[in-house]
Amino acid sequence: MAGYIVRRLLSAALVVVLTSMFVFALFFLGPANAARPLCDLNGRCNPEKLALLTEQLGLNDSVVNQYGIWAKGLVSDREIVFGPTFHCDAPCLGISYSTRGEVTTELFDRFPATISVAIGGGALYLVIGVVLGVVAAARRGTVVDRGLVAASLVIYSIPFYVVALVAWIFFSLEWGIFPDTTYHPISEGVGPWFWGLLLPWLVLGFTNSTTYARYTRGQMVETLGEDYIRTATAKGVRRSKVLFKHALRAAIVPVITLFGLDFAYLLTGTIFLEQIFQIDGIGRWAIEALRDPIDFPVVSATVLVGAIVIVVANLLVDIFYSFIDPRVRLA
Amino acid sequence: MAITPAALEEGVVADATGAEPVAGKSPTQIALRRLRKDKVAMFCAFLVLVMTVLAILAPVITGAMNIYWDVSHPDAPTGSEVLDVYGFPIIGPPFNGFTWEHPLGLAPRTGSDNLAYLLYGLRTSMIVAFSAAVLSTFIGVVIGLVSGFSRGWVDRVLSFITDMFLSFPSLLAMLALAPIIVSHFGGNLDLLGTVQFVTLIVILVIFGWMSLARLIRGQVLSLREREFIQAAEVIGVPTRQILFKELLPNLIAPIVITLSLNLPAFVALEAGLSFLGLGLSDIPSLGKMVSDARTYYSDYPLFLWVPVAAIGVLTLALNLLGDSVRDAFDPRTRR
Repeated sequence: MAGYIVRRLLSAALVVVLTSMFVFALFFLGPANAARPLCDLNGRCNPEKLALLTEQLGLNDSVVNQYGIWAKGLVSDREIVFGPTFHCDAPCLGISYSTRGEVTTELFDRFPATISVAIGGGALYLVIGVVLGVVAAARRGTVVDRGLVAASLVIYSIPFYVVALVAWIFFSLEWGIFPDTTYHPISEGVGPWFWGLLLPWLVLGFTNSTTYARYTRGQMVETLGEDYIRTATAKGVRRSKVLFKHALRAAIVPVITLFGLDFAYLLTGTIFLEQIFQIDGIGRWAIEALRDPIDFPVVSATVLVGAIVIVVANLLVDIFYSFIDPRVRLA
Repeated sequence: MAITPAALEEGVVADATGAEPVAGKSPTQIALRRLRKDKVAMFCAFLVLVMTVLAILAPVITGAMNIYWDVSHPDAPTGSEVLDVYGFPIIGPPFNGFTWEHPLGLAPRTGSDNLAYLLYGLRTSMIVAFSAAVLSTFIGVVIGLVSGFSRGWVDRVLSFITDMFLSFPSLLAMLALAPIIVSHFGGNLDLLGTVQFVTLIVILVIFGWMSLARLIRGQVLSLREREFIQAAEVIGVPTRQILFKELLPNLIAPIVITLSLNLPAFVALEAGLSFLGLGLSDIPSLGKMVSDARTYYSDYPLFLWVPVAAIGVLTLALNLLGDSVRDAFDPRTRR
């Protein structure tokens, strides 16, 4: 078990390091001058200014050295010079070109919004999906079952952001059921936070739950055919207990895997939701940073954080297995 | 008596009673026959066909109707002719009735014709999705074949690369890659549209080949132990011929299924990236139209509904068709 976790941790770390190197290499090895966006930012860019910035940003240095400096900033404070000198506390991900603030601070400011959307939506679709799947499996072959399968196929086929847009049009603009759909920090009160994010959650929950319902249904149908379920039913265990306690425990493992693997998808979904519902989270921040002129420190930070979140989610899922399913023995 | 190859190659076997000869059908023929019986699939195929024809004929239709998406075109009406001081069109929707001159109205602020933009946007969507799907399928097949057939370090390296790409947060990377690549060519504004277009296809291909490569590798791993491959190896058939003449025909089903399910995925991604402002901006794109129209929704709903409906119908039809193709090729589903 410990050996397995160590091995998984190492490969997870490898993915994160490679991701950061990839973004770094992309930016610095490309034909464009990395100092250019910064140079264009305030006032006209003349050759002297460009040369100075190139020198200050260390672009004349080798890319390996620069990566070393950047990576070292993660554990110790750094001084960053472009124009004025900026002090950047560890963990330092750089100074934003556009706001001139520390990227780490801005990251932590925006993290709660994204996490609120993702966790609320994720929890909602997992619960709705699993319950629907169990119900469909229990009434296999009926109208409920067939309707669910068909609906899941249709909803799965339409891009997520189209569903979100249509929901926004009707529920927010046309009918005004959710007039104030945006993110309010939870410190302003649970009420505004909850009502502000309810529509994005519902959109996420509604669109994704069908896939989970389909998977849960498939797994449950298989599990319900097993002998131990017949035994439990024969000895007089209540139907609901058989379904949710005996069968679901065995059927839910692949669904949890899917949930872990879907985390990347969930994050992308969050980017679209933040854009459509004007939530100031990490996704929207990244999109802003990617517009011309590119705010490289912000881009690298968001990609890195995204990679870490996904990798950690996959890791947790793998380890979670051994607890939820006694058949899995990690060696 | 020696059996000549010609006698063996006779595909049609007549039975003793001399009744109807039994003709063998290839799995692909069986799948196509099942697909033709599928009403949903046929309706979706019809929709896709109509949209493909519209996309192909976009220049002809817009030329005949005298409508333009590109307002810098010499024949296009200038902004001052068709827009009021607030930037809204003075003819057609939203404030005036329907007109045949511009059936779907004009875009506010730019004055480009919505129907023309829609047709060219469809064209972009389809070209991007089709080229990305074909290219990524090609790469996936080649890598899967080679890594599945070669034992040893080649397989290990290729599998490692495939796994790396799979565990990579590809959508985040896609988002980051697009503008960064474009920025490297950004100086030249005339080329911007082409650069964005090519970049988008390249990115979709880079992150779109892995699942097929894995699928093909798995299939090849089991196929290469079969007698017909061993026989081919024993009689000295060149490796290339074994790969492409013996193995490839047995992999038609996963290839066709992946191709048909990748098409809608790429349509959705292209429009999605353009919607976020990271895909196409210089040439018509349905995603860009959505993002432009969003702020005008309260005054001009039609402007938003046109691209939203187009993306929705196109991806829905392609996905349902792809799903039916998968069912048709899967011998386990019986209808």
